[in-house]
Amino acid sequence: MTLAVQHLWLIPALPLAAAAVGALAPRSGRTLAAGAAIGAMAGSFILACLALAGALADPAAHQVFNFAWFDLGFGALRLGFLLDPLTAFMCVMVAFVSLLIFIFSTGYMKEDANYKQFFCFLSLFAAAMLGLVVANSLLLLFVCWELVGLASYLLIGFWFHKPSAAAAAKKAFITTRIGDLGFLLGLLWLQDNQGTLLFYDGGAGFLEAAALANLSHLLPCGLAVSTAIGLLIFCGAVGKSGQFPLHVWLPDAMEGPTPVSALIHAATMVAAGVFLIARVYPLMTADQALANVPVHALTVVAFIGAFTALLGALIAVAQNDIKRILAFSTVSQLGYMMLALGVGSWVAAIFHLLTHAFFKALLFLGAGSVIHAAHHEQDIRALGGLSKKMKVTYLTFALGTMALVGVPLLFSGFWSKEAILHAAHGWRVSHLPFYAAVLGVVLTAFYNTRLMAETFFGSPRSENAAHARENGPAMTLPLVILAACAVLLSLVNLPSYPWLAAKLLGEQEVRGHPIFEGAGLMGLSVVLVALGVGLGWALYGRSLRANSAAKDPLAVRAPGVIAALANRLGFDELYAATVGRLNAALATLADVLDRFVWGGAVDFLAALGQFTGLVTRETDERTLNGGFDTTSDKLRGAGQAYSQAQTGEAHGYLRTLALGFVILLLLVVLGGAR
Amino acid sequence: MKLDYAALFNALRPEAHLALGALLVLGFDIFWARHRPANRHHVALALGLLALGLAAWKAVTPGGAGPVHGGMLMIDTLTVATRAGVIGLAALALCLLPSPSRLRHPAEFVAILLFATTGFTLMAAANQLLIVFLAVELASLSLYVLAGFDKTCPESAEAALKYFLFGGMSAAFLLFGFSLLYGLTGSLDLGGIATQLAAQGPSPLLLVALGMVLVAFGFKAAAAPFHLWAPDVYQGAPSPAAALIASASKLAGLVVFTRLLWPGLGSTVGAIAHLPITVGWAPVVALVAGASLLVGNIGALAQSNVRRLLAYSAIAHAGALLLGVIAAGRVGPAPLFYYASTYGLATVGAFGVLSVLEATGPAQKLIDVAGLHQRSPLLAGCLAIFVLSLAGIPPLAGFFGKFAVFAAVLRLGGLAGPVGWLAILAIALSAVALYYYLLILKQALVARPAAEAAPVRVPLPAALALLISAALLVLLGVFPSWILGLF
Repeated sequence: MTLAVQHLWLIPALPLAAAAVGALAPRSGRTLAAGAAIGAMAGSFILACLALAGALADPAAHQVFNFAWFDLGFGALRLGFLLDPLTAFMCVMVAFVSLLIFIFSTGYMKEDANYKQFFCFLSLFAAAMLGLVVANSLLLLFVCWELVGLASYLLIGFWFHKPSAAAAAKKAFITTRIGDLGFLLGLLWLQDNQGTLLFYDGGAGFLEAAALANLSHLLPCGLAVSTAIGLLIFCGAVGKSGQFPLHVWLPDAMEGPTPVSALIHAATMVAAGVFLIARVYPLMTADQALANVPVHALTVVAFIGAFTALLGALIAVAQNDIKRILAFSTVSQLGYMMLALGVGSWVAAIFHLLTHAFFKALLFLGAGSVIHAAHHEQDIRALGGLSKKMKVTYLTFALGTMALVGVPLLFSGFWSKEAILHAAHGWRVSHLPFYAAVLGVVLTAFYNTRLMAETFFGSPRSENAAHARENGPAMTLPLVILAACAVLLSLVNLPSYPWLAAKLLGEQEVRGHPIFEGAGLMGLSVVLVALGVGLGWALYGRSLRANSAAKDPLAVRAPGVIAALANRLGFDELYAATVGRLNAALATLADVLDRFVWGGAVDFLAALGQFTGLVTRETDERTLNGGFDTTSDKLRGAGQAYSQAQTGEAHGYLRTLALGFVILLLLVVLGGAR
Repeated sequence: MKLDYAALFNALRPEAHLALGALLVLGFDIFWARHRPANRHHVALALGLLALGLAAWKAVTPGGAGPVHGGMLMIDTLTVATRAGVIGLAALALCLLPSPSRLRHPAEFVAILLFATTGFTLMAAANQLLIVFLAVELASLSLYVLAGFDKTCPESAEAALKYFLFGGMSAAFLLFGFSLLYGLTGSLDLGGIATQLAAQGPSPLLLVALGMVLVAFGFKAAAAPFHLWAPDVYQGAPSPAAALIASASKLAGLVVFTRLLWPGLGSTVGAIAHLPITVGWAPVVALVAGASLLVGNIGALAQSNVRRLLAYSAIAHAGALLLGVIAAGRVGPAPLFYYASTYGLATVGAFGVLSVLEATGPAQKLIDVAGLHQRSPLLAGCLAIFVLSLAGIPPLAGFFGKFAVFAAVLRLGGLAGPVGWLAILAIALSAVALYYYLLILKQALVARPAAEAAPVRVPLPAALALLISAALLVLLGVFPSWILGLF
């Protein structure tokens, strides 16, 4: 049984309905809201699996279902749904991870007063995210893109009574909006150029050969049109996926409840930028054939990705908040995905996206489990010794860490990272991104070893950590399932049997190559991981931290560097001093203009309108009503009934009718006689 | 001329169902329900809805297209859509049937409402001057009675009388104009008239006839300067009657006059897309439209009575609708029909809210809706949708109606000619309109309820009608091509 493409809308529609139920339910309807959300998500997951079966039946095909939304001057604005392996794999992943995180949330948010609202927002997010994935129109994708942004805003600021959460929500919303502006411009340019925003439309979509050929002419600045549009769309991806220079919002977004961080800011929404670039990949690669352009779109993507991967890993080294470490690690891993896209291997990017979704969701949920057990203590310096108290969390977290670090052979993260390194190594333009990625691998191994050692080993360094106890099955069960996935997912795309890659590329037959082809590179990365873990263990594992106030061993050795990294290299301050200042100045200018110039004009018009109204009213009251009043007074004086007073008025009405006719007649006759 | 009575009967099935339904409602009331006063209301309502439902079914399955009975009637997409639209609007209005304490003879009310609907559906199909006149009069006479139906309330009688006097006068103009047209062309059939007029060109007598027809048109559409009846009638008539006058009657009237003006009198349209203007009916309609826009929007600003405010808003919308009539020749009737039908939905809904409120106390002044959000969140939410749609706020259908009509008008000649300027005027006045629409919402959603105001219980039929109207306004706003794509 498969799901036909015209029924694909059901996948986002189910959580949307659950969101509606959650919105309409009374505040006490906690079970109803959570039940609807989880039930709908389970339904979506089943449908997504059916859709996957449908897509795998013919992986090379892009099945589409398009419909006219409404007609405009230039023709109909059309939307549609698309089913191909990329969509189907994303759908299954989003639905599955969402389902697990929804279940986890029933435990994590149990004490929260706004429990049902939380599930309403989560369902809204899932609906928008699934809608984004199944869209066959850049416009529909953009609509859902903005909706996930909205859901993210609502959920980061879910504890809006905390000023830091409200500020973080605002920061996330505004920062991503900067990227979205570029996306919107690219979208409008594309619509203007192509007349359609459909991806695939039986040869007429903008990702198909005929349309791409129209985009190869050069602009006055030397760029190809497709490069410019591609880079504008990439701006949206930079904002959403937390790439340099718009990465600053993602760590702050950790103010939201931890399930939100796991679902939105690790597994799904932040990966939407990667998905977007993979989706419009034919557009991004359209300029590759041109030799005489200064830069290709993908080159920019690769450098930004590589830089972000290194930057995120560096900053993560000096963070102390368990969620922020994971957040910067997400920034870094998203950089790896962008790097893979940039060096031409979108399949590796999607593979890493899928594996990352599972192990990063696992890590965040594990962190959530720790935070929930340790009474909202998030500082790893104050944790410690949890390996004995929280066995399930510890073991699953360790598995997740090993996947993230890329411990060889067994773990999914190893294979996906390997694919990216391999692709970066083979890139002909430059080797710099490859070196950045390699350095990132060492750092990743290093900061994760530190995270494990400080959180789980040794003895508890605070009251909260000492009283921590393992959480209930609603929270541990998703951890176990995700841990299993983090390990087993490697099986879908082993180098010897790259099933996922073959399906994504639309090949029926899976052609593998021997597992040790490129063994040199693989050996190098194993050595690098070992180096990172070894360094980490030497600094943090051998001599465990004595108490929460003790100095960090790295900070003792290089205080200046660590202080700068702990301060996130000052990006926030830099932006506040430049963009923020500029914005404030512009806002003041706009305020002055608004108040005095436009406001004055509006006041003038309003006064004019008031004056007209006054004149009308005066005429009405004095002349018309006055006349009628006199008439009625006279009639009343004569002892006439009320109805007769109205007859006088009706006379006036009929007279106007006749007068109107005469005027019309004069107009037409005089006009005709001319 | 070979006449096919079977085809005629086939084409008139909706009207036959409505008329039979009306008689059935009356008969059932006399012989059965009169003795069961508890059920009288429900029986009349159920039978009325049944008749409307059957008629709607027959209307959307016309079983044939093209001219019928030698061109007397015309069955095309516009006919089908209009019939379905007026029947739907009549059904929504019927659901607002006043409570037994205010309406002593429900069966008569329902029967007359069905007769009025018969008139509307006939207007939708009419393609010959006599049928046009007959249909307009059948609808108008029924509406006069409905307007005066609330015998407990002197304002209702006053409204009916004024409506009748005004309507009678404009019917006289219409008939006079029709006889002149007949005298000029020797034909009653719109096709025949068009051929004749194209051959003979404009003559002073034709212009007089045109003027007379336009007066009647102005009355039916409540366009300035033939609008004076509207505020009094909207204020005094029982809510379902006012809703019907404002919605279905307007839709049917605009469709029948569009048919009359474009296929019938299309050769005398005149040109207003660019300067200089050439004479014809279009400049006059444009003038009436501009006057309506100004009078309606500015007149509404000073109103403190919700119903009078809705009346002035109706006048303003009539102006925009007339622009749609002018544009219908170039782009087809789709924008006009979309605007008129969604406007009808919003108006029926607004009157529906007022009619529910009437059962608990006065519902005339703006302050009578104060604090509605506390008295009934359902009513307040629906009212917000209706009023915002009237104001033309996206994504509600009212916005896309305006958008479609203005876009169609601008396609006639861009901003270079008077009709483009009218579109600009209409857009500017939409901003003015927002003020008085928000006055209603300010009272309903922000103000506190009066001290003695009790929660409102919404009867089931009315609640259904309101929810359906509100849902349709949202859905048609999100998917305008459901209607725009029909034509």
